[in-house]
Formats: sequence, C-alpha cells, structure tokens
Amino acid sequence: MIGNVIKYERDNIDTDVIIPGTYLKIHDYNELATHAMEGLDPEFPSKVKDGDFIVAGKNFGCGSSREHAPIALSTCGIKAVIATSFARIFYRNSVDGAFLLPIEVDDETYRKIANSDQLEINIEKNEIKNITKNETYAMKPFSEIIAKIIAAGGLFKYKK
Amino acid sequence: MTETLFEKIWNSHVVVERENEPSLIYIDRHLIHEVTSPQAFDGLRANNRDVRRRDLTVATIDHNVPTTDRSLPMIDETSSTQIKTLEKNCKDFGIKLFGINDPNQGIVHVIGPQLGITLPGSTIVCGDSHTSTQGAFGAFAFGIGTSEVEHTLATQTLWLEKPKTFEILATGKRKNPFAVTSKDIILSIIKQIGTDGGTGHVLEYHGDAISDLSMEQRMTICNMSIEAGSRAGLIAPDEKTFDYLNNRKYTPTNYDELVDYWKSNLMSDTNSKFDKSFTIDVDKIEPQVSWGTNPAMVSDVTGKIPTPEEFGQNNEIQIESAKKALLYMDLKPDTPIVEIPVDRVFIGSCTNARLEDLKDAAEIVNGKTVNSHVGAMVVPGSQMVKLEAEKLGLDKIFKDANFEWRESGCSMCLGMNPDILKPGERCASTSNRNFEGRQGSGGRTHLVSPVMAAASAIAGHFVDVREFC
Repeated sequence: MIGNVIKYERDNIDTDVIIPGTYLKIHDYNELATHAMEGLDPEFPSKVKDGDFIVAGKNFGCGSSREHAPIALSTCGIKAVIATSFARIFYRNSVDGAFLLPIEVDDETYRKIANSDQLEINIEKNEIKNITKNETYAMKPFSEIIAKIIAAGGLFKYKK
Repeated sequence: MTETLFEKIWNSHVVVERENEPSLIYIDRHLIHEVTSPQAFDGLRANNRDVRRRDLTVATIDHNVPTTDRSLPMIDETSSTQIKTLEKNCKDFGIKLFGINDPNQGIVHVIGPQLGITLPGSTIVCGDSHTSTQGAFGAFAFGIGTSEVEHTLATQTLWLEKPKTFEILATGKRKNPFAVTSKDIILSIIKQIGTDGGTGHVLEYHGDAISDLSMEQRMTICNMSIEAGSRAGLIAPDEKTFDYLNNRKYTPTNYDELVDYWKSNLMSDTNSKFDKSFTIDVDKIEPQVSWGTNPAMVSDVTGKIPTPEEFGQNNEIQIESAKKALLYMDLKPDTPIVEIPVDRVFIGSCTNARLEDLKDAAEIVNGKTVNSHVGAMVVPGSQMVKLEAEKLGLDKIFKDANFEWRESGCSMCLGMNPDILKPGERCASTSNRNFEGRQGSGGRTHLVSPVMAAASAIAGHFVDVREFC
C-alpha cells in the first residue's frame, strides 16, 4: 500500500474536528466527506488524494463514537491513519467497518515522517518504508484479533 | 479467585469466549438516537434482517431537536429529515420511541436512568460515547459506532475485546460540597491521568468521596470517564442506587428480588486486582475551569492560565498543543482565571442538566441578574427534568434573572441544532468537551460545573463560586 502523507503535528485530534457535529445530519457519505477535517484544516478535502495517509500524534480520534469520523476520512480516500496512539472507539470503528487502517508507531517514527513523504505500508512485515527519505520504520504489530479482522475486511465479514 | 465488579458483569454476559478471539457479549439494553442510527437501519433493510429484541431497544430524539417552541415547524431541513427517518425506522421495526413531543423525551443518557431502563449489572449500549454515564448504576455501559448499532439491532450481541480494569480511589471529603462538585472531581482526575489515561480500560470509582455523592453527581463522574479515553466508568450500586431506580416507569416488577441479588453480587471482591490504579484526595480539590481545547487542560479557579512550558513539562508535543490551544482560545499565559470574561453561559448536556444541577445553579442565581454582556441559557436534560424543575419554580428563578429557559435536548453541547456559539464567542459551559469548534465553528468553550456557570453568568467573568455561598 503506497501513499503520500498529510501530517498534522498534534495530539488529541478529536472527532469534532474530523467531522464537526453539525454535519452528522448528512446521510450521504460523499457529501459528508466534503467536510472531513473541516474543524482543523478546511483545505483537506481539496488537497487529499485517493490512497493518502494521515500522520498525527497521540490519542487520534478521541471524543464521540461517531462512525462518521473514519467514514469521512475513508470516503476522501484516506487508507490509513498513522499515529502514536488511538482513542479506542475510533480504532474499533475504523477496523470493524474496514474503513481505514489505524497504525501505531513510536514517537521517533512520528517525528521522522514529514508532510508529503511517500510511504509504503506493509502490514505483513509490520514495516513502513519511507520512499522519499529511503528509511524504514517498524509499526506496532496489530494484535492477533485485529489482524484477523483486517484480513477478513471488517468484523462482520470476519464473523460470518 | 477474586473478581472486580467489571469482571463479574462481563463474565455473566459472555455468550462465546475463545482464546485470542473477541468475546461475544449479550446486550441487555440498546438505546438509540437519530444521529448514529439511520445507516444501521439501512443495513438491516439491505440484508433483509429484523430487530432481534425490540423489547430491549428504546429510542429518543435528542441531538437535533430545537430547544425553542416545538409547535413551530423546524427550519433546518436536514435535521428534520434525520428526525423523520428515526420516526419511520421505529415505526417500521416496532421500536418504542420517545419522540419530539413525548413527555419522556430527553437526552438519551438522562432518560435511561429516569425511566428505570438502566439497571445495575446490565450491559447497555448506545451509538454515543457518553453512554458511560449509566455506569453510575453499576452497569457496563459504553458507546458504539453505527456498524455496531446495526449488529446489536440484528443480534442483541456484540463482539468485544475484554477491556482492562482501572481503579480510581477517591478519598477524603470535599471542603465545600456545594461549590466543589462531582464535575470538579472528574475534571481533576482527567487533568492528572490525561485524555488517554484510561484508554482500553474500564474505570471503576470507589472510596468515601464517591459513596458521598448522589446518583446524579455520580452520573457526572461516569459521563466524563470517556474524556479520559476509557471504555466506560463504573460505580458499584448501593442503597442510593436502589432508591433512585425504585418505582420508575420501567422498573421491573420483581425489583425487590433483583435488589437482593445485586446487593450480594455487584461489588468488586476484597483484594481484587486491577490492571491500573490511581488515588485522588478530594479534600484538596477546588472549583475547576478548563482553559484549553481538551478536557485535561484545566485549572483551579484560583489559578492562572499556565505557560505552555508549565503545562507541557518538557514534552515538546504537549508544549506545542498548549500553544495551539491558547491561540485558539485567545488566552495569554499567567492570566488569572477569574479575569477571563464570558459571552455566553450554557447550563445543559448529559453531563450536568439533571434536577440537582439546575437546583444548585438556581440557588446561585436566585434574586440576581445575568450580567448585561452575557447571554445565558438553561437546557434541561429531559422533559421530566424540565417539569420537575418547573414544579419547584426554578424556571421562574432563571427567567427572572434573564436566563433563557428551553426545551430539553443536547443543544449547545455539540451544536447540531441552532444553539451554537458565534465565532470567537467565549462560553462557560456545563458540558463535557471543549474541543475546537465543538459548540460552533470558532466558539471557545470553558468546561465548568453548574454552580460555576451560574456564578459566571451573574459576574460576567469566571468567579470563585465559593464567594457566592
């Protein structure tokens, strides 16, 4: 999986900035996606490209249980969020619905990855290759359960 | 082998448990609201599935509802559509709905306990993170996403990884229990353990300072457990719990029998082991005011805005986030909290809009007038709260002081209805999240208790409520 980085040097990127409450009334996911990250970066929907990755600090996705948050990012084309840690409801929502991959890395890796870097994520090897900088980082392996759910394409498919 | 309360509840709800797999957990109560349910019902229809236990499923409308006169048509078409969608879904699938004009309508986490739907020892879910509120009754209550709402509707179960346990021991006695509230206790805890301190854990609160609290105060504590990143908050039930739930609309008919069972089963065993522990002494707690953009950025009312370096303590990322927060909040380090002016005051939300919250706030407001520069409103947590408050004449006290007295709903806590801050407006809010834009794009939120909010409405700036009482 290869993509370019949109980096936010922030901890605690919450669900209210990922998709502000006022848009939770929107039923259509494509329309919802036009407001993704609006609370933090209104330019996001116009600059994001299909296959991009978001890189951020700790506790990404804290706050509300709104599944609209990973859905809005995923509908914009985001395939993975790389963060130093995740809030658990966001993590579950991302994996359960197979919207995007929540990938945990250490602080040093977070610091090394820069905005616009091109990365290749290899979840079999638990490795992130920074093509732009010619560096390789370790990602925190998914737990056995999460890896199975991801491989199946979501919790409900896994349990079918 | 000893077990914690959480482990007892978990073990009594396991349907399937295998090594290295999530466990299938039975869900006793499923609460639904209009925002996180529409796609779940779409999914049921697409797969030709029915609701498995409509008798254990209850819906209300809270996030979108206008808090002004509800006999008027709704202006916001998308909100109106979302409300009508829930009405249709409940009708089609035979689910009990407390609709917009129902006397039991209200914020889902407020009406659950008020109606006796919330029961000790049960598992409760809702597509809403503040479902944790109901952990105050000794229930494992937690927020879920829309896919899980669909799964619960279809199967009355959920696949879950077992959370870890986190003991929060609260000792001592509050010096001034009217002015130093349970909101101040939970804000103090989050300030210390951080917004991710509870990640992957269920927080179980105990100690004298928790037993001292009323059920409504305990709900405030469990409500904000999610702001520490935890899965849920939990308090073992006691006599106060059993009294609260007695004779409610949906209290089970075999209630006495249930109480006997709960009394002998629903507590952590002596010497049971928690994965983590934290102790807080409430003697030292002062009224709290948040100054930043997450609920760990909190100060004593007698304190000052910290410098980013004081807040971050050598952590570069924390220092940077404090700088960004101060910029967003338009605040300067070293400013005394009591010198910060407020434009708006919001007394409401699932955190602090129950009867005791309104009674305490009214006691501060009684006979005084809201500062002429401040717009202040009270939004009761439910129609039942509103009616009880009106019976006590609280509406008159608030209205006489120039507060607006509104209909019940989530309102300005998350700005999904017309109750929002204008860009740049600063609000003393009894809600739970001070995230950027939460109460309206560009709005600045300071989290406080109901009595602190009431006092700041009168003064026009933050003020130590202990000077009012």
